Amino acid sequence: MARLWAVIKREYLERVRTKWFIFSTVFTPLLFGGLTLLPIWLASKSMDSENIAHIVILDASGSELGKRVQLALGGGGIQSSDTTSTQIIVLDTAQLAAAELAATQAVVKKETRGYLVLGPHILDATETRYAGRNGSSLPDIERIRSAVRQGVLATRLERAGMDAQRVTSLTSVRGVDIDAEQIGDRGREGKGGLVKYIFAFSLAFLLYMSIFIYGQNVLRGVLEEKQTRVAEVVVASVSTDTLLAGKVLGVGAVGITQQILWVIGSLVIMKIREPVMHALKISSPSITLPSIAPGVLALLLLFFVLGFMLYSALFAAVGAMVNSDQEAQQAQQPVTLLLVATAILIQPVLLNPGTKLAKIAAIFPFSAPILMPLRLSLISVPWTEVVASLLSMVVMIAISIWIASRIYRTGLLMYGKRPSFGEVARWLRRS
Amino acid sequence: MTEPAIEIRNVAKRYDAHVAVRDLSLVIPRGSVYGLLGPNGAGKTTTIRMILDIIEPDSGTITVLGSAHRDRAIQDRVGYLPEERGLYRKMQVRRVLRFLGELKGLTGREADTRITSWLERLDLRNADKDWGLAKVDELSRGMQQKVQFIGALLHDPDLVILDEPFSGLDPVNAQALKDTIVDLKRRGKTVIFSTHIMENAERLCDSVCIIAKGEKVLDGAVSDVRSAHGERTVALALDGDASAAVKAILADTSVISEADDSNRFYELELAPGADASALLRRLVEAGAPIRRFERVQPSLHSIFLEKVGATGVEAGMSGHG
Repeated sequence: MARLWAVIKREYLERVRTKWFIFSTVFTPLLFGGLTLLPIWLASKSMDSENIAHIVILDASGSELGKRVQLALGGGGIQSSDTTSTQIIVLDTAQLAAAELAATQAVVKKETRGYLVLGPHILDATETRYAGRNGSSLPDIERIRSAVRQGVLATRLERAGMDAQRVTSLTSVRGVDIDAEQIGDRGREGKGGLVKYIFAFSLAFLLYMSIFIYGQNVLRGVLEEKQTRVAEVVVASVSTDTLLAGKVLGVGAVGITQQILWVIGSLVIMKIREPVMHALKISSPSITLPSIAPGVLALLLLFFVLGFMLYSALFAAVGAMVNSDQEAQQAQQPVTLLLVATAILIQPVLLNPGTKLAKIAAIFPFSAPILMPLRLSLISVPWTEVVASLLSMVVMIAISIWIASRIYRTGLLMYGKRPSFGEVARWLRRS
Repeated sequence: MTEPAIEIRNVAKRYDAHVAVRDLSLVIPRGSVYGLLGPNGAGKTTTIRMILDIIEPDSGTITVLGSAHRDRAIQDRVGYLPEERGLYRKMQVRRVLRFLGELKGLTGREADTRITSWLERLDLRNADKDWGLAKVDELSRGMQQKVQFIGALLHDPDLVILDEPFSGLDPVNAQALKDTIVDLKRRGKTVIFSTHIMENAERLCDSVCIIAKGEKVLDGAVSDVRSAHGERTVALALDGDASAAVKAILADTSVISEADDSNRFYELELAPGADASALLRRLVEAGAPIRRFERVQPSLHSIFLEKVGATGVEAGMSGHG
């Protein structure tokens, strides 16, 4: 037991001391924090500088529609735009082609951002088009579309005999916020749908990355001991099983340490996020993190531990089979493939966590450690499925460790040619 | 002290393609320096690995210091320097040594004081520089060898097994190693080393075993081995080159059955029925510039060549040893 502890201690301390560990532990939360802040910051910047109402409206509708649209663009709420620079040109159909040409030139010269054409039959059929610098910006087009719709509606009401003043006051609608909430098998599950998706995706991605990185770490550790021949001294003192166990546990402990530090770091960043955004003069849309019960957190950690053990045993076996980094690149492909296939399934499961595919993939031992936590953070999963997932992983871990320890025992002191499949099979049978 | 340090009985080890060790039995006396001699691929390293419980024999039993070799407590009393040397490159020297000590049951504190004294003893730590604080890959090869040697001896083992300890050593370090081996013996430890350099074995070993192709060729005390082959060997040294007439005599197989020719020094084995004084007379008549003509015990080198044969040396394979 003291020997196992010595091995674990070495694996742990030597990795925690590396610059790579310190760097990735500190910068990953900062990176993620930056990634959540950046879009908000950019969005707030673009709202100030790029006024979507800085356009030319070519009004061939023969009514006051241009004015109405301008009014709607200035609507109010966070959707409101500064309409002082909006230019309305009232014209008839014959002049339209020339006017469009001129407006295009104006946009090219950056005198205006774009132009909106309101055709002669717009009130009966939707006949409008927009061209501009922001012509591919979906949110901008959406806002212009809703302004046109609002203008058309107002003009129709006016034509139907309604008082112009009343029409204006009735049709001006401020931005609508929809309070979205998820309902699961156990009832209402709280707000924050989008945030929940982002959280679930980040979680799955983080699990994938961690299992991948730390699994490879085990491979490299085994390979290093083999390449430097230090393995021989070590296995003269401890059994190969102890060495393998110590390596997997030591590297796993490094992974858990890093994740705990990441969680703490992220919480700190969420805490200081408000002051930071305030300092950057950004009005922050309030984001409520999905609250995670300690039990769920423990369950997530358990999935990481089991997934890591499963994959690191396989990576260790690969490390014991090969002699060089190049050989390792090739030989690890079957193991890597299992992980990558799981990563490909993240998106479909994220979008439809309730499908049969999602259910099966979350129980299949090689994808379970990533996809079951993903489902758990999106929907309420029946406990039978969670137990089935854990059981399948435990069984597969037992099988993997059985195989890995045999390959490891024989392969660790085999130098020279990489063994063929047949030879590896013989190692398994013999020991 | 009558109980042997190691007793190997009818041990065999087979790999997929070939037999590494077949039916080997050895008794290694306690407190002795024991040489395991043999060409590359003879099974030396495999034998050593089986003694250390790194690999399991297919059959046979091994007793180490009076206990079954699979006993972990017994393995703690064994120190091992493998043929293929290596340490964790990125680790600090002291930490590597502490780790190796802990694997043998030392506490961190015990290890630390011993490491300091060993580093000083092998001049890796002095007023100018403490190499113990450097990373392993900052050390020269010679220094790394020393560190590895410390690692094998840190826990003060009763039995020290050195696999090809002289390979890659410069003369200064080789002498330091020889001194250490003599010192270990003086302190009552048992030292086993494998080598194919017969001069080292001859000077250092009390007993030897020659193995080839996985089988024991001969074993016993060095003096016994030599005297058993000592009846018919003549050492001949010449001043200057041998003339054609002298060469003809040395090539005469009715007189000399085997000649180990080192240019001006010859180790000759008399053919059955040949007489040494008759040979001397013929050489004098042929005008050979004789500096030395002596009936001697054969060197281990010539015994080795005689028993194993040049083919055995050439056909060696590394790896499974």
